[in-house]
Amino acid sequence: MIHLKTISRIIGTLLILLAGIFLLFGIASPFLEGNDLFGFLVSALATTLTGLWCLIIGKGSKGEFSRRDSYITITVCWIAFALFGSLPYWLGGHIPSFTDAFFESMSGFTTTGASILDNIESQPHALLLWRSLTQWLGGLGIVFFTVAILPMFGIDKVQLFAAESTGVSHRKIHSRVSVGSRWIFAIYIMLTVACAVSLRVCGMGWFDAVNHGLTTIATSGFSTRQGSIGAFDSVQIDYVITLFMFLSGINYTLLFLLLFKGKLRELYRNTEFRVYLFTVLGFTLVITLGLLAQGDIGIEKAFRISLFQVVSLQTTTGFATADYMQWPPYLWMLLSFVMFFGACGGSSTGAMKCGRVAILAKSIRGEFNRILHPNAVIPVRMDGNVISGDTRATVLTFTCLYFLLIFIGWFAFMVMGLDFVEGYSISVSCVGNIGPALGTLGPAYSWSALPASAKWLASFLMLVGRLELFTILLMFTTSFWRRR
Amino acid sequence: MRIIIAGAGAVGTHLAKMLSDEQHDIVLMDANEERMANLDSNFDLMTIAASPTSISSLKDAGVADADLFVAVTPEESTNITACMLAHSLGAKKTVARIDNYEYLQPKNKEFFNNLGIDSLIYPEMLAAKEIADGLHLSWIRQWWEFSGGALVMLGVKLRDNALILNTPIFQIKKEQPYHIVAIKRMGETIIPGGDDMLQAGDLVYFMTTKRSLTYIRHITGKDEYESIHNVMIMGGSRIAVRSAQLISEDMSLKIIESDLARCRWLTEMVSDNVMVINGDGRDHELLSEEGIDNVDAFVALTDSAETNILACLSAKRMGVFKTIAEVENIDYISMAESLDIGSVINKKKIAASYIYQLLLDADVSNVKCLTFANADVAEFIVKEGARITRSQVKDISLPKGVTIGGLVRDGEGILVTGSTQIQPGDHVVAFCLASMIKRIEKYFN
Repeated sequence: MIHLKTISRIIGTLLILLAGIFLLFGIASPFLEGNDLFGFLVSALATTLTGLWCLIIGKGSKGEFSRRDSYITITVCWIAFALFGSLPYWLGGHIPSFTDAFFESMSGFTTTGASILDNIESQPHALLLWRSLTQWLGGLGIVFFTVAILPMFGIDKVQLFAAESTGVSHRKIHSRVSVGSRWIFAIYIMLTVACAVSLRVCGMGWFDAVNHGLTTIATSGFSTRQGSIGAFDSVQIDYVITLFMFLSGINYTLLFLLLFKGKLRELYRNTEFRVYLFTVLGFTLVITLGLLAQGDIGIEKAFRISLFQVVSLQTTTGFATADYMQWPPYLWMLLSFVMFFGACGGSSTGAMKCGRVAILAKSIRGEFNRILHPNAVIPVRMDGNVISGDTRATVLTFTCLYFLLIFIGWFAFMVMGLDFVEGYSISVSCVGNIGPALGTLGPAYSWSALPASAKWLASFLMLVGRLELFTILLMFTTSFWRRR
Repeated sequence: MRIIIAGAGAVGTHLAKMLSDEQHDIVLMDANEERMANLDSNFDLMTIAASPTSISSLKDAGVADADLFVAVTPEESTNITACMLAHSLGAKKTVARIDNYEYLQPKNKEFFNNLGIDSLIYPEMLAAKEIADGLHLSWIRQWWEFSGGALVMLGVKLRDNALILNTPIFQIKKEQPYHIVAIKRMGETIIPGGDDMLQAGDLVYFMTTKRSLTYIRHITGKDEYESIHNVMIMGGSRIAVRSAQLISEDMSLKIIESDLARCRWLTEMVSDNVMVINGDGRDHELLSEEGIDNVDAFVALTDSAETNILACLSAKRMGVFKTIAEVENIDYISMAESLDIGSVINKKKIAASYIYQLLLDADVSNVKCLTFANADVAEFIVKEGARITRSQVKDISLPKGVTIGGLVRDGEGILVTGSTQIQPGDHVVAFCLASMIKRIEKYFN
């Protein structure tokens, strides 16, 4: 059963909330550089009206909520936010093409961070702040964000969370999901403030510091500069951002245990975190050596830019301090490989997540063992506990689907006229919510030159990737819509 | 002494038989009447077919004036509940069998005392410890530490290559850092005098200190024994799981279990250095496929004593030098010995000897039951004015079948000779034939 009224009510409430944010931006806009008061006010009006309309449809809902409803709600909610979130860009006239505005908005909410803007520095500051905020809201999930702050709905939130959360296993930090989500949200805010303040201390202006604070912790990658973090040309800023990107890639439940319960052991015992840590270190080492072999660069600098680039791509942030397209091709290939890994589940990062990679790797090793010992019962362990066969099957299915989606995307992009490397890398980058790709879609360029069809496809892939494939793809199965 | 035993499983039944033979007043409780049908008619004890967690049945059993209440059902929570009830109803001392390592930690002792449980017993853990000790010291059949390791007693099987064969003990014994406390020969336990000679095939119990281990290894001809790296366990019982947890990380371990669901459970209990194999441990093809040729020790821990014995025999034939079998059927123990199966584990005896020490009035901190030898070793703390302190050891007429192996004074292990003078406060380790402990405790009080 699909309960249209309940869904409408939730979407309506969320839209009113969004309208409220627009209004705040409208009010703040005259105090910031540039003028986009009109855009925000009109967006607020349009959003309010739609929100009220949804609430009217939803009137009389009895709060019934099924599993299907939660998937529809999440999907509609993300599309609606991307749609209405694009209004300030479009109605304010700062991004004249609707396609571009929608792409920018979707890239924001999904924390991808690919941009079609070629003149970021000349945009009004309120708009840039909104652009960063979309990423921050999308980082932990739009519904997560709303449920964490609003005591609302009176519906079973667990299913909603399940449809939006990432990673393999979900450990609760509190018996009530809304309390747990508030704790996680508190950590999210703390990290953001800490990051912004550290950046200010390292010499950024307040406006840049806040924007980068928001987009670093959301591991999303919009910058207020065309040249990304490289534009600041500061060693301290590079390291600070690297550190905060890395921290944001850790499972927030683990961060909670670390910060509020002091359980450092728990962190190290966590298989996913170990894989995350060691893959980051391993890739950094290889790339540092690769850069040194090329010559003409100091050890410190080689280490710094490799570490930055690896952390940036593995946490799917997508900031850049160097144009890696200038590096030897085998290093691009390696970086595109890094893009598959992602960081830990339960964080704001995208891609496959280290937990799944660990389960895959262990399953592969198990298969080899099984050949030698046909009678052995070979378990896959994570954090010392045996993973059930069902979970392994889900991970394998996810992986197959992930690659399938990338291949289909790759093919479609090439049909739309992109070349081999660009078609591949944009597909990987979109599904993984990373941001920069390879070739002319690399860190040195914006994506404005893409054909309109490619921008829509990219937006779709970003959304599918952000909601970890199943939530969106479920909508395309016939059994989902069948009445039983 | 009035003793109530709850749970007529293997441990409970054995305990009831053993204690009723010693003229204690035994009540055996179990919810399942069939289990006790045999006992009631053949042994001098009372059986009550009722749940040990029922207050009225506990009262019926006379728990109010029981000296000891022993809960040994397979269910840990039943045991704990029963002990708590029994304590509140007036039992003087309670013992619960548990299945959780956490409970044994010393910091939790007081917590359990407050609940009314005086003592906890974990037979699987004790058995697993014996197995792990046996694997770490592969040339030793049995191993027991006294006073935290100041003195050790070990059982070694002598082969033709031992250096101390066929010489009267008084000749080899002079100034040696060990004391031979017992010899097990052809199914008979001998407490040796000076004229006795050691023979090949004897299982000899030495009392010694840890310093002299290498020397004993040398004189018993065990220098060529290699240390154990690959262990195979047949049967995924609870003892197998505990053993896997106790065995050191550098040994690689395979557990063979025939039930697939049990195998899955095992994988959740053990760590990565253990491989769980689904199959029958008696299947030669499976064993050779899983590399029995490279296995140094084979441990059989299935529920069936016959299977364990046969599996160990076939493992010996396939070239495994160390085998350990769990033999729960007490009648088979001597047979297992005569078939030359390395070590025998008997959960019941281990548990029983542990509970037995609670019955002794003397301050006994440690009693070990020797599975093969049908004998006990006990550690006594000598009281002020005790009979044993009155003269030198050789002048005290100890009963036949008792020998004093050594003593621990101020944390240092000392071997006892005839001229040793025992002082109050010493921890004395005495070796005695079955059920004699009761008779010698008066020497130490």
